[in-house]
Amino acid sequence: MGVSQHESGLQPGPGAKRAASGARPGSTAVSVSGVSKTFWRDGRPTQALHDIELGIASGEFVCLLGPSGCGKSTLLHIVAGFIAADEGQISAHGERVTGPGVDRCVLFQSPTLFPWLTSRDNVLFGPRSRGLDNEETRGRADALLATVGLGDFKDHYPHQLSGGMRHRAALARALINRPRILLMDEPFAALDAITREQMQNFLLDLWQRERMTVLFVTHDVEEAALLSDRVCIMSPRPGRIVDIVDIELARPRDEALRDTAEFVALRHELRKRLASA
Amino acid sequence: MSASPATEVPGILRASSGAARHWLISIASVVAGLIVWQVAAQFVIRDPVLLPTPVATVGVLIRYLGMPYPSGGETLIGHALTSLGRVVAGFAIGSFIGIAIGAMMAGFRSFRAVVDPFIEITRPLPPLAFVPVLIVWFGIGEAPKIILIAAGVVPVMAISTAAGLDGIPGEMLNCARCLGASEWYTMIHVRIRAAMPQIITGMRLSMGLSWTSIVAVEMIAATAGLGFVILQAGQFLDTSLIFAGILIIALLGLGLDACLRRLQRHLDPTMRP
Repeated sequence: MGVSQHESGLQPGPGAKRAASGARPGSTAVSVSGVSKTFWRDGRPTQALHDIELGIASGEFVCLLGPSGCGKSTLLHIVAGFIAADEGQISAHGERVTGPGVDRCVLFQSPTLFPWLTSRDNVLFGPRSRGLDNEETRGRADALLATVGLGDFKDHYPHQLSGGMRHRAALARALINRPRILLMDEPFAALDAITREQMQNFLLDLWQRERMTVLFVTHDVEEAALLSDRVCIMSPRPGRIVDIVDIELARPRDEALRDTAEFVALRHELRKRLASA
Repeated sequence: MSASPATEVPGILRASSGAARHWLISIASVVAGLIVWQVAAQFVIRDPVLLPTPVATVGVLIRYLGMPYPSGGETLIGHALTSLGRVVAGFAIGSFIGIAIGAMMAGFRSFRAVVDPFIEITRPLPPLAFVPVLIVWFGIGEAPKIILIAAGVVPVMAISTAAGLDGIPGEMLNCARCLGASEWYTMIHVRIRAAMPQIITGMRLSMGLSWTSIVAVEMIAATAGLGFVILQAGQFLDTSLIFAGILIIALLGLGLDACLRRLQRHLDPTMRP
C-alpha cells in the first residue's frame, strides 16, 4: 500500500506502466482473474470484457478509466455480484464473489435513494433490512448524516434535496454498513460541473480520513487523476485493461492540486494514453 | 422539523396560494353550475318531472333520509349503506385478486402471456352485458352483485399493479441487495413499496368504476340500494328522487376517492405540498 509515502510528483513514464496483473504488496481486497463476459442480443454476441486481470490492495483507490462502452461498468457490476462472469474468478478479501454482499457497496450514477423514505430512513435501510435497528445504529446514522453535511436534512425526503445532497445521502447510506470495499459507478457523471467538483473534493477528504478500498469507474480524466492511487485504462470492445498508471501525487491531496503544473501534466499524460488505448 | 433554506419560503407561499386559488375557482364553478340548473329548471323547463330544481332535489333527499322508500322498504340512508357495502365488498375482492394477478404478471413472463388476452378482452366489456348470465350462474342474492363489481375492478388493478412493478429501475433493486436486503425483503420493502403509488392510482380508477356499475348491479332483482331507488323512482316518474339518488352516489364516490387520495399522499411524499 503506502501510497502516501511517495513524496510528490508525477511518474507516469514507462516505469509506471506495468503488466495488467497482480495487486500491490499487502492484503488483497479485490482480485479479478481471467474474467471475460459476452452479451448476446438478437443472437449476436458482443464481447464486453476480455481476460481481465486486476488486483486491488486493501485501502487502495483504483480508477477504471475508459470511453463509454468499454465494459468498465460491466466489470464493476461483476465485482459487485450483480452479474456473473462467463469465465474467470472474482474474490473479495479472499472469498469468492457469487452475489451481492454487504462487504461491497455500490454507488450508482443516480443516487437511487428510496423516494418514500427520509434521508435518515434511507441511511437506516441497510441495517434495518438485516434486523439491526438499534440505538447504536440510529446514533451512527445521525453522525454519518452530519459527516456528509446533511445534519439539518435528516427528515427531508429525497425530492426535497439538491442533486449533490442526494449523492451525499447515498454515500452515508452506503457507509453505515461499514463496507470494506466501495464500488463507485460514475457516481458524479450526471451532476453539473460545480457540484461535481464539490463532490470530488468531498470524496477525496472522506477517503483520506477513512481509507477504505475503492474501485471507481469514470470517463473523466481529471477525476481519475485527482482521486486515485492507480488508474487502469481500458480499451473498448472487447474491454481490456491496456495500461496501468500509478498516480504518485502526494497525499493528502486537496482541490488546490487541480491548478498545479504537475497535475496538469499528469492529466495531459493520462489523456494521451487514453487516446492511444 | 429542520430549517429549510429561507429562499424556499416564498415558493411554498406561492404554491399554497395557487392551490387556494384553484379551490376557489372550483367552488365557484360548482356554485355557477347549481345556479344555471336552478334557473333552467324554474324558468325555462318549468316541469319538475322533466327537470326538478336543485332546491327541490335536496328537499326530497332530506325527506327520504328518514322515510322508507318504497313504503315498507329502507330509508335513503339504508339504501346508501346497502350500495356502499356492495361497492366496498366488490372493490376489495376485485382489488385483492387484481393485485395478485398483476404481481404474477410482473414476476413471470409466461403468466403474463397467458392472462394478457383475457384482460384485454374483458376490460372494455360493459358490466351490464353480464347481468343475465350472472343471474343464471349465481341466482339473485348478494353474490352476483358483488361479483359483477369485482369483475370490473380486476383487470384495472392487474394492469396498474403490473405497470407499477415493471416501472421500478433495476438499479434500485440492485442497490437494496448490496445494502444487505434479502430477495424477500427487497420484494416487500422496495419493489411492492415503490409500486404502491401506482397501485393506489389503479384503486382510484376502479373505485370510480365500481360506482358506475352499481346501478347495473342493482338491476339484478334488488330490493334495496341506490341503483334500485333510481330505477324504482324512474318507473314512477319521481325525477327529483332520481336526482337525489344520483347526488348521494356522487357524494359517496367523492368521499371514498378522498380517502384513497389521502392514502396516496401518505405513501408518496412527492405528492405532498
